[in-house]
Amino acid sequence: MLEVENVDVHYGDIQALWNISFKVGDGEIVSLIGSNGAGKTTVLKTISGILRPTKGNVSINGIRSDAIPAHEIVEMGVVLIPEGRRLFRDMTVFENLELGGYIARARPLKNQNLKWIFEMFPVVENRMSQLAGTLSGGEQQMLAIARGLMSEPKLLLVDELSLGLAPLIVKNIYDTLKEINRSRKMTILVVEQNVRLALEIADRGYIIENGRIIGEGKGSDLLKSDQVKSAYLAIG
Amino acid sequence: MLKFFQILSYGIINGGLYGLVALGLSLVFGVMNYLNVAHGGLIMLASYVTFLIFSSLHIDPFLSILLVTPAFFVIGWVLFKVLYQSLMKFTEGEKIKNSLLISFGLLLIFANLAILLWTADERAVAPWYTGKVFDVFGVRLPYTGLGGLALAITVIIALHLFLTRTYFGKAIRAVSLDHEAATLMGINVNKVCLVAFSIGFALAGIPGVLTSLHAFNPAISFDLTNKALVVLILAGVGSIKGVLIGGLFLGAVEAAGVYLVGTPYREVFGLILFVLILMFRPQGLAGKKA
Repeated sequence: MLEVENVDVHYGDIQALWNISFKVGDGEIVSLIGSNGAGKTTVLKTISGILRPTKGNVSINGIRSDAIPAHEIVEMGVVLIPEGRRLFRDMTVFENLELGGYIARARPLKNQNLKWIFEMFPVVENRMSQLAGTLSGGEQQMLAIARGLMSEPKLLLVDELSLGLAPLIVKNIYDTLKEINRSRKMTILVVEQNVRLALEIADRGYIIENGRIIGEGKGSDLLKSDQVKSAYLAIG
Repeated sequence: MLKFFQILSYGIINGGLYGLVALGLSLVFGVMNYLNVAHGGLIMLASYVTFLIFSSLHIDPFLSILLVTPAFFVIGWVLFKVLYQSLMKFTEGEKIKNSLLISFGLLLIFANLAILLWTADERAVAPWYTGKVFDVFGVRLPYTGLGGLALAITVIIALHLFLTRTYFGKAIRAVSLDHEAATLMGINVNKVCLVAFSIGFALAGIPGVLTSLHAFNPAISFDLTNKALVVLILAGVGSIKGVLIGGLFLGAVEAAGVYLVGTPYREVFGLILFVLILMFRPQGLAGKKA
């Protein structure tokens, strides 16, 4: 599904990623864990085409995507749920969802996708005509995910959805993602500071530190590994 | 009392025109943070084009909108590609400063080009209904003014519906709120900006037709830009409905000034209003508190 090979990324003169390589297979949930500033968000922005690698390449389903404009990458079926949600705050919930399904392929499926999304996030349906900026944090995060799903992505990139939300809400949203992964065979790449949560739902995980990948393994194995325990879980 | 209503009616008719004048400027500023002060110059050029179409082809000025608007859309398209596209990469503040510099240069070029081509003499388009009025209880309402007011309201509502009811209109609003998030929806931000900018130019053609119905000369460019900026501040940045309210409000305030103090001070009241709004309600009349 997704292949990242030997990627370097710079912000101006400052290098943020060094020789990053990893893969996400069809139907997998993979999480990328690491502390603040490790480069997790940079990886997702590079995949979605907002940042360009200075070295290496990114392929989606075998097609090289690192020179394709970001808006066309959405049409290839890759959607990023950005950190901080980035909703269109002065537009209604309904308009946000419509924009999520903006691409030509998704427009005829609007009603069908809305129905599906309301089943998963009933709260969103009750808020349709409200401005997105007036929702609570948890509702906003659900709307951000719902908006991303409106274009029927094959690969969903989720950036730090736990930020600023109550643990119970985060747990619920992750359960929903897991359910989408199972029922729709949707591939999901999650970036998360909440290491335990991220590894619990993931099939596999990668650890990123200072812009380099320093470890990988099955989610359950990584949870038990000394490396993760001592650095991120503060037990051990 | 009759004098008051007469002045007020002119104020409202002028106000509709002010709304139209500000419309394109407001759209372009809202979507991409370009402060296009050349807008008044475009309206002035549109007046000359209307004048030429009327004097050579005898086409009614209101009908010539159908020719002038597409022509200005194309001019906007070309100028965006040549001059404005390269500003897209800058930060918000830099965009405002750089677009201000470019468009101020364009404003001077347009005004001098018009003097060169058509001299500084006053012109006016005079179709058969010029000078004809409705008499409503002694208040004289000119045909041209009423037609202009109806046109202004129609155009502003049409733009509002386009922005709120169509996919492309919603994409324009999404881009104005957050370029990166819009990109993540699969919206081609460059294309949306190009089209929105060109629509902004096309919207200079419509008030240009109205200003051609009264005496005009190349110098009206500066007055029109001035009015557009006052309405932009009154309306609140990026608010399309606010533009109609702001325009009418400015027209009414000017009318009150004319009634109380006298015609020579008309412009002064608009500018005092501009300063007061910036001091006490910088989000605009229709805008919400930031």
